[in-house]
Amino acid sequence: MDRKYELVYVVSPVATDDQVSDLHTQIEAVVQRMGGRIEKTENWGRRRLAYEIAHQKEGTYVLEVIHGAGDLMKEIDRRLKVIDYVIRHLVVRVDETEQVVERRRTTRTEQSRRRRVARGLAPDRQPGEGQRGEFEDERDEDDRFEVTEDIR
Amino acid sequence: MNGRRHAGGTSGGGRGRGAQGQQQGKDGARRPMFRRRKICKFCAEKIDDINYKDTKLLMSFVPERAKIMPRRISGTCAMHQRKLRTALMRARQLALLPYTSE
Repeated sequence: MDRKYELVYVVSPVATDDQVSDLHTQIEAVVQRMGGRIEKTENWGRRRLAYEIAHQKEGTYVLEVIHGAGDLMKEIDRRLKVIDYVIRHLVVRVDETEQVVERRRTTRTEQSRRRRVARGLAPDRQPGEGQRGEFEDERDEDDRFEVTEDIR
Repeated sequence: MNGRRHAGGTSGGGRGRGAQGQQQGKDGARRPMFRRRKICKFCAEKIDDINYKDTKLLMSFVPERAKIMPRRISGTCAMHQRKLRTALMRARQLALLPYTSE
């Protein structure tokens, strides 16, 4: 059973960088042993926590996208619970939601194309056509996950 | 005093509910207040996935006390409010967003 999961864990600032990378290799080993694979790893670096956890105000965030079975994630979850310098972790299954989002996006573009063709227009919107929507602004996608400083 | 009049502000058009006439106050006092038609931000901007990692977006739905902004104020539609809620809860677990401000 191949499913896609996202794992985020927060490492206490007490831990050294070696420990953080060691943790990654540990997880990698478990994933490989149980027949999964890591799609990508993202280190968000040290960020301020929104609230204190174990008297710590900061933490190192690491995101891993993992393909594998539920048992694999269960095992990782169990291991992370045991390691005491991991102060938070979260496992989310993402493949189904991604599918839903993808489907919605394609139906929307198809619909708009069909409507436009029915009105005798080119299927795609031409640049400079139509009025700018009230909420339209240039949100570039990379901007979305940027680290924001002011966490109340 | 016939009960209904249309909310001012944005002109009609567009789908969805929204500018349904508002009932006048019970004593019939006129409220010369504009009520902007509320629009679900996610529907309008066609944001399909509400992600717990997108703190910038989520932050706009947590006012000072860090509570989740209710639908009646933000105008978010039911479906997106549900998704927003799960995203916010996940973000809170990871200390990306606060449960409360001290």
